[in-house]
Amino acid sequence: MGIRLLGLGARMAILLVFAIFFIAPVLWLILAPTKSDNALVTSSPFSFGSFHNVAQAWNHLDAYSDHLYRRWIANTLIYSLSATAITLAISIPAGYGLALGKFWGRKLILTLTLVVMIMPAASLVLPIFLELNALHLIGSVFSVILPFSFFPFGIYLAYIYYATSIPSELLDAARVDGCGEWLTFRRVALPLAKPVVALVFFFSFVANWNNFFLPYVVLADSNQYPITVGLSNLLASTPSFNPAVGGGGQSVNIFKPELALATLLAVIPVAIVFLLSQRALVRGTLGGAVKQ
Amino acid sequence: MARVAFEAASKVYGDGTRALDKLDLAIEDGEFMVLVGPSGCGKTTALRMLAGLEDITDGVVRIGERVVNGLSPKSRDIAMVFQSYALYPHLTAYDNIAFALRIKKVPKDEIRRRVEEAARILGLVALLKKKPRALSGGQRQRVAMGRAIVREPQAFLMDEPLSNLDAKLRVKMRADIKKIQTNLGVTTLYVTHDQVEAMTMGHRVAVMRKGELQQVASPEDLYHRPLNMFVGGFIGSPAMNMLEAAVERRNGSFEIVVGEARFVLAQETLAAHPQLPAYENRSIVLGIRPESLEDAALVDGDHHPRLRGDAELREALGSEMLVHFSIAARPAVTDEVRELAEDVGDDRTLEHLAEGVPAHATLVGRFSADTRVREGDSIEVAVYERALHFFDRESGLAL
Repeated sequence: MGIRLLGLGARMAILLVFAIFFIAPVLWLILAPTKSDNALVTSSPFSFGSFHNVAQAWNHLDAYSDHLYRRWIANTLIYSLSATAITLAISIPAGYGLALGKFWGRKLILTLTLVVMIMPAASLVLPIFLELNALHLIGSVFSVILPFSFFPFGIYLAYIYYATSIPSELLDAARVDGCGEWLTFRRVALPLAKPVVALVFFFSFVANWNNFFLPYVVLADSNQYPITVGLSNLLASTPSFNPAVGGGGQSVNIFKPELALATLLAVIPVAIVFLLSQRALVRGTLGGAVKQ
Repeated sequence: MARVAFEAASKVYGDGTRALDKLDLAIEDGEFMVLVGPSGCGKTTALRMLAGLEDITDGVVRIGERVVNGLSPKSRDIAMVFQSYALYPHLTAYDNIAFALRIKKVPKDEIRRRVEEAARILGLVALLKKKPRALSGGQRQRVAMGRAIVREPQAFLMDEPLSNLDAKLRVKMRADIKKIQTNLGVTTLYVTHDQVEAMTMGHRVAVMRKGELQQVASPEDLYHRPLNMFVGGFIGSPAMNMLEAAVERRNGSFEIVVGEARFVLAQETLAAHPQLPAYENRSIVLGIRPESLEDAALVDGDHHPRLRGDAELREALGSEMLVHFSIAARPAVTDEVRELAEDVGDDRTLEHLAEGVPAHATLVGRFSADTRVREGDSIEVAVYERALHFFDRESGLAL
């Protein structure tokens, strides 16, 4: 009995240590905007400042370069939603075709999709840059949206879903019921794909939202930046992070609390998308289709 | 409604597997044809070829006068009931049944009328708003039937539609489907591996084996006059007992020798099996249906030949008693016997067969319920000699 209690205590202690280790930085970040730049260094790391400080930090952030922060968020939403929309329009039918179609070259395309999927996005930035340059797209919004509209991981998810979750008899039934290939997809396969649509939407949106390297390379105008590039820009113009800027930060009014707030706000859309798609990821959509 | 025909239709898969070999089979307008056989015999392939879900490698498939080889499923005007029902899970029962009509752009009122009519026939009226996952197995099966009925198609194709139901429901649905088919008069091709379904439902039954058609006949003909050992062994439950036997002539009359027993063949039997005398002094396979065996204690007189054996197992069915008993004779061991044992998953028999031909054969007799036979008893069994079946050992053909 004593040994069991001891074991339980040890387990709880280990879990607690790790929990604290991971939660502490997040907590610090959330509390940071409530304090002044000075208090952030001097007061206890987990103390709460005031809501007044949060409002002030927002005012500073919003005033930066004439509402540039809002602009970045808006840009990112446009880029991410457009690329995600195109991704969905391509991945779902492509995964369906790869999983259930019978055509020459199916295996080859599937293999290529998998190979591209495991390639780090950064490794393609240079060739994509050259391609965009040849097409005179550098500096336009398309240079950010189009390359990320091809999302092999989304195709792979759709492929896995269709290959494992849709009984082929269901599609046969649609064909016998008078559907051609398009209607079979449109009326049966697509409505059943809700869970995977949500999944692809989520992963694609997050990948786009966090996309940094490519827009950093292809966009020159700070008015076109997505939030990732904007944040790094903001970081670079903050004296406490980049002393080379000089002026003690007063020139831009951006200090550590403003930066913490900028980072926190940038996470909110991703969190919302996560909550929305998680609700759509209902299991058992296929219940009752075929007897198991 | 239409006549449906396979003319030398073959299916060869990419890896060279010949799933269907030159099938010639015509289903008359309004006929209920059952395709039956063990798994892998090509029956489902034939059905899917007719539906357009499987390419036809060779030969011709016709629906009505039309050759449909090149037509996609949607252009064939046939309705299919799948083994798994294949209901659209995102649609209600009503929408499932209406699906094909909507695709065909049938006017809304007409759709409503036809769906409600089908729901009435199938007793689904209260369930139309439910999604498949809220329905029981039997209800799903009926929705799948409804989906076929409202189409008013040229033909119904049914791929083991009852195999997922429990035994009681299966018996009820068997009768229901038969009734519906009779009332609607739609040409039907029904695939099953259950010979009871085949016998009870079909106007005619086509027995298949390894991609080849064995026999097409009415259920009665199939049962009483099987063309070969395979059909004889497949149709009937419990299965026909198959024994090694020899034909001998003694004192001018022909006799069948089974182990220690000898039966004199009556003139009628010889007349019904005119090829038998040609097998004099040769071994044949003797087939005895369980109901051709009876506890000798319950049979008046001794004009029936007798077999002596030991009772091993009794299965009381109430109205009758199935008695398994062993006799000193060799069971017939042929490819057909092995295949039939494999099909029903009879591992015990397969093990026995692997050890070579045993010296004792186990038979099943369908005795009257009055029998007093107990396990372990030495028994005498009367054989109704006129209902015997004789097969050639090599070709398996009936004599």
